Amino acid sequence: MSLTGLYVGKADSLRTLFSELKRLGYVVIGYRVVDGVLRLGELNSFDEFAQDVEDVQSPGRYLLVNGSFYRHGPDSPKRFLYPPNLTLFMVSNDWIVSIPEYEKHNFAFFGLKPCDLASIKVLDKILLGVDEYYTSLRRSLVLIVENCISPGGTCFCSTMNTGPRARDSFDLAYTKLNDRLVLEAGSELGLKLLNLLEVEPIDDATYERFRTVMRNASEKARSGFELNGLPEGLELHIESKIYKEVAEKCLGCANCNMVCPTCFCFDILDVPLINGSAKRVRVWDGCLNFTYGQVAGGHFRPDLWARYRHFVLHKFAYWIKQFGTYGCVGCGRCITWCPTGIDLRETVKKILMGG
Amino acid sequence: MKKLKVAIYKFSSCGGCQLQFLNLEDELLDLTSLVDFALFYEARRFVDLGPYDVAFVEGSISTPHEVEIIKKVREESKIVVAIGACATSGGIQALRNWANIEEYKQYVYPRPEWIEVLKYVEPPSKYINVDYEIRGCPINKEQLLSFILQLLKGKIPTLLIDSVCLECKRKGNVCILVVRGVPCLGPITMGGCGALCPSYGRSCYGCYGPMKDPKPEALNARFKELGVKLNEIKLLLRQFTNWSKEFRKVIEEYE
Repeated sequence: MSLTGLYVGKADSLRTLFSELKRLGYVVIGYRVVDGVLRLGELNSFDEFAQDVEDVQSPGRYLLVNGSFYRHGPDSPKRFLYPPNLTLFMVSNDWIVSIPEYEKHNFAFFGLKPCDLASIKVLDKILLGVDEYYTSLRRSLVLIVENCISPGGTCFCSTMNTGPRARDSFDLAYTKLNDRLVLEAGSELGLKLLNLLEVEPIDDATYERFRTVMRNASEKARSGFELNGLPEGLELHIESKIYKEVAEKCLGCANCNMVCPTCFCFDILDVPLINGSAKRVRVWDGCLNFTYGQVAGGHFRPDLWARYRHFVLHKFAYWIKQFGTYGCVGCGRCITWCPTGIDLRETVKKILMGG
Repeated sequence: MKKLKVAIYKFSSCGGCQLQFLNLEDELLDLTSLVDFALFYEARRFVDLGPYDVAFVEGSISTPHEVEIIKKVREESKIVVAIGACATSGGIQALRNWANIEEYKQYVYPRPEWIEVLKYVEPPSKYINVDYEIRGCPINKEQLLSFILQLLKGKIPTLLIDSVCLECKRKGNVCILVVRGVPCLGPITMGGCGALCPSYGRSCYGCYGPMKDPKPEALNARFKELGVKLNEIKLLLRQFTNWSKEFRKVIEEYE
């Protein structure tokens, strides 16, 4: 929710914002260019923050080119809030159990897009108050969000109602309009940060431009299906032959699960060490993996098409029943990072059409 | 705790997989207090006769003599573990299965009639029941150590059988296939290597062989879209684990 309404400031306000977050002691995390992709990582200085690049995304392809606006890379906040590899506890050789002391981080995400903000809201419903590691980081998390003026080739946040403009749950949201920024505070901290910047209330002309930009962006991020009746529609067509058709192209490699900002499934590894002690480790897992459905006494989804179906139905139907929200935020990562370019939007559309 | 009595056998192979025991430099001394290397020609002359708790078997079976030995190994070992690409799918030697062995013999040996070999190079599992497989060319020493430590704890050892992609993404590697459009066998190859090659910017060579339930046809279709020629795809699969059931089937289709 906006505390302030919209303000206008200079583009270099971002630099001031960044410095202030650093001064307040936050570990600032934002996109950097690494090996030809945008990666989320700690930014030591504002100059490390990716600018002047654009990510060209399409099913199964990702390319970074010169540009003025980008969306995201393979990393989402999940990598930091729910790490791929986390030691849960250790057992010494005389059976004393100890829990590792996690380093206490104050993270500030900088320039996160609304889809990724939405993914944190989804993870909140699952992990907040349940997962200690997540909860401790989440309590002090600062979210500086950049509204998405130009959604990419695999984006569908408008359909999922998660973007392109962030409506709530941020500390500060900004929108780039050429050399100016439209700013909005969503928390007391956001308000404090806004007060440090040279801003003035938005004028009518700029507001009109802002609205136009956001409206055009919204048009770009549609999937061709609607949320209205979606869970019911998908469950009605649970026997759809489309799942088997798509599974012909599916590799069962679980890249979609790994890059999904809300996929929270994990595997537990008991790792004995050479000194006689052992540790229990939690690692990312995903429902497309064969072993995911493997349990004592058998396997509950040996067919790949059934594993793919579960992925789709969980995101768009079961999640609603479990957590009261969709499991998909429309970021499009599962489409871009699928080695064979399977397009989730197309799957859902075809199923709803009765295929 | 009783030491694990271990034998390490070599069949047709380069010796690089058993070398991974010795490459466990930091852990090796500690390991010798837990494991009795009763037969380990690459490391020691002394041999303590069987029976053994565990036999690690390296290499493929390519001669009638090796068939006899591998059967004996099975008889005298409680657990048989095949280690490496050769012992799990035939390895590089199995490339000769795609050619005419009689012709090869003529080229290589002055008296080819002295050479007694099987028509096909096969992994030990063709002749005996193998309890566990540790993949790779060579095997990963961390995975090997983890396997032994799990056995010592009395746990059923678990090894990753899903894709290399899983390890790549957990590690935070950049996807070579999606970003550079370079063919990578990661999505059909069994993980466990820690996504070694992609971590250094090279696409996966598939040395761990097919993962559980792989879909090489679907990946090949993608390679074709990226402009990779049929013959190149065939060569990609005809590497370390060319004789594995799943890769072989695809190569045969392309022949």
